[in-house]
Amino acid sequence: MARSRAIRYRPSLRRVIVPVLLIAAWTVAGQYRVIDRLFLPSSADLWEAFRALAPLLPSAILTTISMVMVGFMIGVSFGAASGLLMAYSPLIRDLLGSIFDFLRPVPVFALIPMFILWFGIGRAPQITLIALGTSVVLGVTTLEAIRNVPSIYMRAALTLGANRRQIYSTVIVPYILPHLIGAVRVAAAASWGLDVAAEFMGSQQGLGYLIILQQTFLRTAGILILVIVYSVLAVIFDAVLRALEARLTRWTERHAVRGAVGAIVGFG
Amino acid sequence: MTGPDAQDHVKIKLEHLTVAYEQVRGHLAVIQDLSLSIYEREFLCIVGASGCGKTTLLNVIAGLIAPSSGIVQMDGRPIRTAGPERAMVFQEDAVFPWYTVRQNLEYGLRMAHMPQARRDEIVSRYLQLVGLEESQHDYPRELSGGMRKRVDVARAMTLDPQVLLMDEPFASLDALTKEHLQVEFLKLWSAARMTVLFVTHDLEEALFLADRVVVMSKRGGRIRHTVTVPFARPRAIELKTQPAFQDVRRDLARDLEV
Repeated sequence: MARSRAIRYRPSLRRVIVPVLLIAAWTVAGQYRVIDRLFLPSSADLWEAFRALAPLLPSAILTTISMVMVGFMIGVSFGAASGLLMAYSPLIRDLLGSIFDFLRPVPVFALIPMFILWFGIGRAPQITLIALGTSVVLGVTTLEAIRNVPSIYMRAALTLGANRRQIYSTVIVPYILPHLIGAVRVAAAASWGLDVAAEFMGSQQGLGYLIILQQTFLRTAGILILVIVYSVLAVIFDAVLRALEARLTRWTERHAVRGAVGAIVGFG
Repeated sequence: MTGPDAQDHVKIKLEHLTVAYEQVRGHLAVIQDLSLSIYEREFLCIVGASGCGKTTLLNVIAGLIAPSSGIVQMDGRPIRTAGPERAMVFQEDAVFPWYTVRQNLEYGLRMAHMPQARRDEIVSRYLQLVGLEESQHDYPRELSGGMRKRVDVARAMTLDPQVLLMDEPFASLDALTKEHLQVEFLKLWSAARMTVLFVTHDLEEALFLADRVVVMSKRGGRIRHTVTVPFARPRAIELKTQPAFQDVRRDLARDLEV
């Protein structure tokens, strides 16, 4: 009874249980060679691989981060901007809408051979791939979010003398921002995956390139190290976006949801 | 002031107004051949059952809905679009949740590109008038329903509109808050004295506030008849319990049922 209470009232304790169990199982498995080291390297192997990779990591991380950031920024701004323009102008909606509808279901990875053909090998096709993947997500979400702006706010703005452009900047954009931030986080997570794929297409530096290199020599421990680096980067980036989200959504009901209702959706 | 005199200036003029919506099977006329004159500085209430077309009427005057036929004029000029000279307070909660109380009150003035110093002055005055000075930097979600309505009314009044359109603004509030806001609003109005068109289904509210009450028929979007309210201003809330008030209310209720 006493123990279960300790677990119930210490969320931080509960949160580490599963990871600790997994790491313990992994350590035991490595110790007793239950699984071939090629398939699941032991912790000692990982440490070894990390030491071998360490000198290469800083420049590779820098390359990868800069590619992801540039591609992500271009993709998010282009996507959100085209979503806004499509809502604002029927002409642009007719011109761009079909392209977005056509591109949305296409797996961008399938375009990799064409990208190499068009942009050659190097950073340009890689950044384009990331930008394209994120902009499609943002474009569609932005247009959808604008369609869901309650008409009462626009009617109120109209009777208070706002013109169309002012309604966009003072009603539509503030209203959709909290809705977009969710899409931005999805796009951010996707952009790391897009980066790995992009670097697989013949890059000469970056974390994805290092993974290909490790693969060539069957160094599974090295691959795992690089995967961990990717996850850490993605988690840090997501934390930054969440901090931004908290700032942008101060006015929403979400912060007021407490008690019984909050418990249902996990904000308790 | 009780009732308009014949020589009073007509502020809003509706003539043979018809508003019809396209439906799957033909048209549905929400308002049919309605004529009404609203005088300068008059407080006019429109009462009627839900679905009688009173909200549509307000939206037409606001310039949010185009009439199917007929004349809609303000000061002799046709109304085509929405504009700040005809501010509106809606039944729904229309306070912008992403702006603070102060920013909400400032909204119309900001849209009109009024200089900051002048804006601050007007906003501060209205914050004081509606008693929201302490909450001026709060977001609307932190306010009660009654306070949000105060923000809504004050936001429309900062623009000093010539006509204030109110669509059952207090309908969602509890009885006590509602009476409170009615008294407060009458005070605000007697200071500003703009033309008010106030839609409600609450007869006591209409008789307490208005100079004239227009009763709309249940169906067909027509005016059943018009009542001039005989009670002198300023009016206190006690008026509602007086026999004379209740008599008029009873007559009005009988009109509505037929």
